[in-house]
Amino acid sequence: MSPLRLAERLLQLIPVLLGISVIVFAMMALTPGDPVQIMLGDSLADQAQRDSLRRDMGLDLPVVERFFRFLGNALTGNFGLSFFHRRPVMDVILERLPATIELTLVAMFIAIAVAVPLGVIAAVRRNSLLDRIATIGSMLGVSMPGFWFGILLILLFAVNLHLLPVSGRIGFGHEVKMVTGFVLIDTLMAGRLDSFLDALRHMLLPAVTLGLAMSALLMRVTRTSMLEALSQDYVTFAEAKGLSRVRVVGRHALKNALIPTVTVAAIETGSLLGGNMIIETVFGWPGLGRLVVEAIFSRNYPLVQAAVLIYATTYVLLNFLADLLYTVLNPKVRL
Amino acid sequence: MSQLLGIRGLRTTFPTRHGLVRAVDGIDLDVRPGECLGVVGESGSGKSVTFLSVLGLVRPPGKVEAEAITFQGRNLLSLAPTEIRAIRGRDIAVTMQDALTALNPAFTVETQIVETIEAHEPGIAKGEARARAIEMLRLVGIPDAERRLASYPHQFSGGMRQRVMVAIALACRPKLLIADEPTTALDVTIQSQVLDLIDDMRVRLGMSVVLITHDLGIVAERCDRVAVMYAGQVVETGPTAEVVAAPIHPYTRGLLRSMPSLAHLDEPLVPIDGTVPDPTRLSDGCRFLPRCPHAVEVCARPVGLRAVTAERAARCILAEVAR
Ligand SMILES: Nc1ncnc2c1ncn2[C@@H]1O[C@H](COP(=O)(O)OP(=O)(O)O)[C@@H](O)[C@H]1O
Ligand code: SF4
Ligand SMILES: [Mg+2]
Repeated sequence: MSPLRLAERLLQLIPVLLGISVIVFAMMALTPGDPVQIMLGDSLADQAQRDSLRRDMGLDLPVVERFFRFLGNALTGNFGLSFFHRRPVMDVILERLPATIELTLVAMFIAIAVAVPLGVIAAVRRNSLLDRIATIGSMLGVSMPGFWFGILLILLFAVNLHLLPVSGRIGFGHEVKMVTGFVLIDTLMAGRLDSFLDALRHMLLPAVTLGLAMSALLMRVTRTSMLEALSQDYVTFAEAKGLSRVRVVGRHALKNALIPTVTVAAIETGSLLGGNMIIETVFGWPGLGRLVVEAIFSRNYPLVQAAVLIYATTYVLLNFLADLLYTVLNPKVRL
Repeated sequence: MSQLLGIRGLRTTFPTRHGLVRAVDGIDLDVRPGECLGVVGESGSGKSVTFLSVLGLVRPPGKVEAEAITFQGRNLLSLAPTEIRAIRGRDIAVTMQDALTALNPAFTVETQIVETIEAHEPGIAKGEARARAIEMLRLVGIPDAERRLASYPHQFSGGMRQRVMVAIALACRPKLLIADEPTTALDVTIQSQVLDLIDDMRVRLGMSVVLITHDLGIVAERCDRVAVMYAGQVVETGPTAEVVAAPIHPYTRGLLRSMPSLAHLDEPLVPIDGTVPDPTRLSDGCRFLPRCPHAVEVCARPVGLRAVTAERAARCILAEVAR
């Protein structure tokens, strides 16, 4: 993609993001319930104090003005105070975000590591026993609710077999100083191999739960695009050149088949972020997803607002990334 | 040895929902060293499948059977997968009808030439393989060869792309090139350039060429011998000049009468009446019978390929008369 085309694509993101902010703002403005009431709760604040808080929060201003304030603040990362934590929303979110990103990346890694080889084998050995098993497995994976599968895994590996921890991100006594916020990196940076392994053990069940659900979809995509690629003339021509089967399948067919897989993976990473809410709650994972669930139940509007905006923006950016990857992988689209 | 490739009793079938497709049904063919053999027939007559079968490239559920397929005295049917793979691309090379779909869109031309060389000369130095790739591109007349190595197939014009495919096919100096409709996808003006190129390379490398086409005119201009195919069978073979001057099989005659570019300019152009038979419902008798103006009762019984002279044969009862 030429720099000009790239700039054009980036500019196109602006109206999308603007639209998202309007929707997020409107959602919150229209939701019943008085934020001041929620924030002060049962405290003994009098009407004067309530009015003063209302003014501080800008709730007395006309709605259009409130929107532009919201937008201006959002652009500088200022989403106001979290009702519950009494700290800036952004600080609270930034504290929790690395845990979610780390879990998502590890889950995606598992998903790809499982899905691509299985999808390729299922396509190459089409209609074999393995293909059928993989097909049934992926149907189960797509249709099975993640929280249910997660609970099953907890019951089996944590409660019954005592092989893995039930919840949390790192065990007692294994904590290290957080520098990057990514526990797998921070433990290694601290030179604590024991902590690293402990963190890995904590991550295993939630990451597998998220990853396997995703791998089901990715496997279907890989199998389909691989079958398509294997039927192309360029595969016959590659074989006619005397190339090995491994090279024909693993390079000629796979490189083309991976284009849809990678694109779908990038887009689905966005929905993984959303799906995290339930899984993080089930596994007591201290990430953004659980934070948002808590915020929703406690009607912590500023935090929910900020989180929804972050989710939506991430989703849009991941779609953009998917486009970009598609171009990089597919020389024909390069402009 | 008067034959480089010998095909005896080749049958290739595909089970489909509509029944068994008998794509190739009892083919006997010889390719001699250094010659250009034209294989001509309508689309669907089994030309491509014949040569894909020879190279073992028919995919399941397609099934290939033959009495023998010999190449330089070796029976290709009895070879192990690695042995036949060593022959593909090195001894017998192929170009396909459309270079746009035959070349992999995701790899540069350099990768696609170099990997062929490396497959047959393991351990060759990277620089040497690259130098050979450049040499091949030059040989087939691609300007600015060294720079074009980094290009992807879609960045070439149709004619240049076809040349790239020829360069890949010839990279290991094969003894036999199977050129499957090398010009069908091209403009008329570019067609003869590509055919000249193949002819030129045949002479330079001393290889044999099987030129597959549905255009009898091309065969008449360029091939020493011709095999005419109809509904999965060879219906007439012989030296091109003789076949064109005095065709025996009514189908060959029909083809010649429907061709504008050939010698019989005094006769009006006549397309062949009727249509090609359904490959799942082929009769045991002569397959041209429903379209044949000379058909008699015995034509409904099996008709074999009958020798007319030492060099000519036809799958028709009229062959007796010609002899
Ligand atoms: N993979 C396949 N499955 C089913 N039928 C096929 C397959 N490949 C070729 N055929 C059939 O075999 C016949 C011969 O095909 P082909 O050799 O490609 O013809 P030609 O090259 O002479 O145009 C056609 O009827 C075609 O439909
Ligand atoms: S065998 Fe009979 S039907 Fe067939 S081409 Fe010859 S004359 Fe015609
Ligand atoms: Mg063909």
